[in-house]
Amino acid sequence: MDTADLLDIRVALVTGKGGVGKSTVAAALAIAAARTGRRTCLVEVEGRQTFSRLFGTQPWDFSEREFRPGLYGLSLDPEASLAEYLEMFYGAKRISKLVVGNAAVEFATTAAPGIKDVLLIGKVREMERRRDDDGRFHYDSIVVDAPPTGRIVNFLRAPEATTELVSVGPVRHQAQSLVDMLLDPARTCALLVTLLEEMPVTETLESTEALRRLGMQVGPVVVNRVLPRRFADDERKALTDDLEVEHLARVLDGAGLEVDTDAAQLLLDRGREELARIDLQDSMRERLTEHLDSGLFELPEIYADDFAADEVGLLADRFEEAWQ
Amino acid sequence: MTSRDAAILRKARARDLRDVVGQAHIIVCTGAGGVGKTTSAAALALGAAAAGRKTIVLTIDPARRLAQSLGLKTLEHTPRPVRGAEGLEAMMLDMKYTFDEVIDRHAPDPSRAQRIKSNRFYQQLSNSLAGTQEYMAMEKLYDLHHAGTYDCIVIDTPPTRNALDFLDAPRRLTDFLEGRFLKLFLAPGLRAGRTIGRAVGFGTGLFMRAASRITGAGVLEDLGDFFQSFEGMYEGFKQRAQAVYRLLSSPGSSFVVVTTPEAPALREARYFLRRLEQDGMPLGGVVVNRATPRPAAELAHADAEALEAAARQLAADGTEARVAAKLLHLHRDLADTARREQRAVTAALHGVDPVALVEVPRFGGDVHDLSGLELVGRHLHGPVA
Ligand SMILES: Nc1ncnc2c1ncn2[C@@H]1O[C@H](COP(=O)(O)OP(=O)(O)O)[C@@H](O)[C@H]1O
Ligand SMILES: Nc1ncnc2c1ncn2[C@@H]1O[C@H](COP(=O)(O)OP(=O)(O)O)[C@@H](O)[C@H]1O
Ligand SMILES: [Mg+2]
Ligand SMILES: [Mg+2]
Repeated sequence: MDTADLLDIRVALVTGKGGVGKSTVAAALAIAAARTGRRTCLVEVEGRQTFSRLFGTQPWDFSEREFRPGLYGLSLDPEASLAEYLEMFYGAKRISKLVVGNAAVEFATTAAPGIKDVLLIGKVREMERRRDDDGRFHYDSIVVDAPPTGRIVNFLRAPEATTELVSVGPVRHQAQSLVDMLLDPARTCALLVTLLEEMPVTETLESTEALRRLGMQVGPVVVNRVLPRRFADDERKALTDDLEVEHLARVLDGAGLEVDTDAAQLLLDRGREELARIDLQDSMRERLTEHLDSGLFELPEIYADDFAADEVGLLADRFEEAWQ
Repeated sequence: MTSRDAAILRKARARDLRDVVGQAHIIVCTGAGGVGKTTSAAALALGAAAAGRKTIVLTIDPARRLAQSLGLKTLEHTPRPVRGAEGLEAMMLDMKYTFDEVIDRHAPDPSRAQRIKSNRFYQQLSNSLAGTQEYMAMEKLYDLHHAGTYDCIVIDTPPTRNALDFLDAPRRLTDFLEGRFLKLFLAPGLRAGRTIGRAVGFGTGLFMRAASRITGAGVLEDLGDFFQSFEGMYEGFKQRAQAVYRLLSSPGSSFVVVTTPEAPALREARYFLRRLEQDGMPLGGVVVNRATPRPAAELAHADAEALEAAARQLAADGTEARVAAKLLHLHRDLADTARREQRAVTAALHGVDPVALVEVPRFGGDVHDLSGLELVGRHLHGPVA
């Protein structure tokens, strides 16, 4: 899997530690896929309404809606999935009515924890297999803002373990077909999102290893919020060693910007902090590349006083560029 | 932002967590995953110890290097003195061990405890039932409180999907153990213990039939056995949960809500703040961690065009002038981000009183030793006497 192929993944499971930009990356990838003519569905699995907020739409629910040309959105939650599951397998409208919207859903999912994931992934599989009348797949691309990697690992570790207590019954059988989809490199690819910081990088390396061992295809690691390299080597040296605050104030003064030494000092401090962050970033990137053969796909830090659809659009540009 | 919001925020920003560190008997750090709960808990504990109070920090998932700095090894569940920090002890919560302890305490006799602990359903309950980790953290907290050894107990909370789980945990777990869900669906008029046995044996009840179709019959057998073993033990759990809840509501406790300045984490912080308010829980303050530093007032007010003009002029010159130009651009970019963050923080705090609002800047690297924690502490509570 190469960065040029990112838009060709049929089911992309975008995963990683919370807060690294998992949802943002999933949205950007989905936008890029749709822009390049793929019928795409962006799937939210924990019902947080992240995407409806990001795109400023009505709240999303269990039914797929086209919120941009060729781009559909869907928000899954275990209750709705449980209902559909029951209907699908038993035609049991009556039972599902009873079960859904009830504490019993919590009960069932507690008794058999894997069931939640079976239901979520089951829905994804149904979309992935869905065909139009002409026999072609309905969706070209399905992008899932997936749960943290640990849960995917548990699920894959063996369907018997996922559904630990579910040793008989239809779930057990279904779980296997879901694992088959997840482990098929022609159908599914995990994309791990990280920041170039200590903890997320450590977790990314561990997760990649764990997913690989279980036979899952792992795509290039998506590195989010990469800081631009602003300072050339000589500038860097000047900033670290030579530039004194009074001098900086004079230089700024000469360009028509009057600042006192406190403000100049602050500018210097920020600049030096930035260099430290760049150093950390470099060493983290090195650590990633040293241990990974899957390559990196870098997305820049977006500086803006808002973070909404437009900003995600800028990140989508990067996916498109890589594809071209 | 209403003017009332603005006034409340101004007041909260003028305060920090020094009273929390100097006085609270129990400090609970809570917030979304990855925001800096473990770091904040350790920094606050260090501050309390520095103030001369005998302190323990109960951490849950410290990064490896931080754990080392605190002298923690995995598979240990006893308090350890932290080298280099007088009066501070640290301990890591071991979920499984704590749960076993709880069962031992509540079970009427060792054989019953054994029966529960060997049940397959019990063995994976802590992974599956939301709130179990939180419950265990509270159990340990109560133990430490009861032991009476510490002036200050700082507790980190598990990386839950939802910060709310922390307050709901005891109720969820006790409800579950009480089998309330089960009883709901069983034929009325039968006593719980026997009913469950019968439900498993004969599949009575529409729900049980549906459930066994989903899960298979084996699950329900384990489950039935589990609930039968638990009979008579719910009361103990419930009382303990209530005692912990009372402890957390008491004025000696103090919740510290940790967040980053990003929308998803702030949303959880907001829910949690409102929940604390509803429940009348004592709030110590809000920590906005990893904040982008705000620009100097003077530069903040310089108009963008003047900055840009100066930068353009400088960019064509020698090395130092180019550095100056780039510093101005860096300033502009960071100022944009800082503005976005401030807006997000203000929006999230609309209509709630954060009591104290402190910002900790994002550092160039992670926080993994005592001097790093001290630096965080300076932002949280200032210098301690
Ligand atoms: N490339 C980026 N540049 C700047 N800010 C970003 C970027 N990616 C994410 N963010 C910020 O981080 C926040 C959290 O991102 P999100 O995708 O919701 O994280 P996650 O799903 O991993 O919890 C966003 O609301 C946004 O403010
Ligand atoms: N202000 C900060 N600047 C830079 N890194 C930080 C800061 N606060 C925390 N970190 C780092 O972020 C990571 C996550 O922090 P942690 O306290 O473990 O979060 P949580 O317990 O909420 O999951 C750790 O590697 C920690 O060192
Ligand atoms: Mg998200
Ligand atoms: Mg933690």
